[in-house]
Amino acid sequence: MNPLEAIGLLFALLAATTVLGLVWRARQGRVASVAGDIITPADVASPTAFGPAATLVQFSTELCARCPGTRRLLDAVAEQRPGVVHVDVDLTHRPDLANRFAVLQTPTTLILDGSGRVRARVGGAPSRADISATLDAITQNTTRRTLTTAPGSSHV
Amino acid sequence: MSKPPRARLDPRGPRFGASLTAVLLLVVVFLSLTGASAAALTLLAAITALFAWGALAGAGRHPYGVLFKKFVRPHLAPPTELEDAAPPTFAQGVGLAVTLVGLILGLAGVPGAVGIAAAAAFVAAFLNAVFDYCLGCQIYLLLVRFGVLNRGRRTVGNV
Repeated sequence: MNPLEAIGLLFALLAATTVLGLVWRARQGRVASVAGDIITPADVASPTAFGPAATLVQFSTELCARCPGTRRLLDAVAEQRPGVVHVDVDLTHRPDLANRFAVLQTPTTLILDGSGRVRARVGGAPSRADISATLDAITQNTTRRTLTTAPGSSHV
Repeated sequence: MSKPPRARLDPRGPRFGASLTAVLLLVVVFLSLTGASAAALTLLAAITALFAWGALAGAGRHPYGVLFKKFVRPHLAPPTELEDAAPPTFAQGVGLAVTLVGLILGLAGVPGAVGIAAAAAFVAAFLNAVFDYCLGCQIYLLLVRFGVLNRGRRTVGNV
């Protein structure tokens, strides 16, 4: 192959890799709403109870560059909001949990509502604004639901 | 295995090293495409040796890390936070595995092996350098899921 063709191929490789990186970065930390199952602390081997308002379940491994930063962020968010608990699950010695929750990257965070139902899922390091907005939506819905079901329960 | 205090790094160090590695790997791809097989093989051998250095001595003691500390870091603001050295060290091991396979197949005379291995390693090094993507972290999780790294259940204290 002559050098000019080779340089052309190098540029193609560079462009393809850049596109790959841009796609990856755009998907990082995106909050996806899901209608998931209700899970309990035992399901994720958590020694601490879930939060009455919401729970942030973070999956990490001991070899994960972004996990410590995400842990600090979610800890801080949980601390500021009453009833919200952050649980960090180390998958390093629990491949069964990694498979059960289909974790493909670390950190992966599940956002549970007050009943323990999985309402959202975040792959990669999330932003504080996205987590806060999702928690706002989840805790608001919960309050609204309790408010609307309250009159109905009177005729029971 | 007890938990020794882990080495911590300026996270920009490994990314600086990855950018140097990416450039060198691109040169290997160019050499193998233009038919300079011997030169491509020699340069890939040197890159493989550097990966081995990083994987065995730790990402903090990599020659590029020394270059970074001496010539680059003095011109930068202090790091906002330090990072565990384990993920970039593991990444060096992944790079070593890929380039070593390319090197062995290249020495065995498999056509295209050197160029393809260098291109694969380039993708990982470039994504690491430019986008802060951690391939090692991803592969580590896959190894956990396939049970390769499951050394029995034990409780890991909260860090």
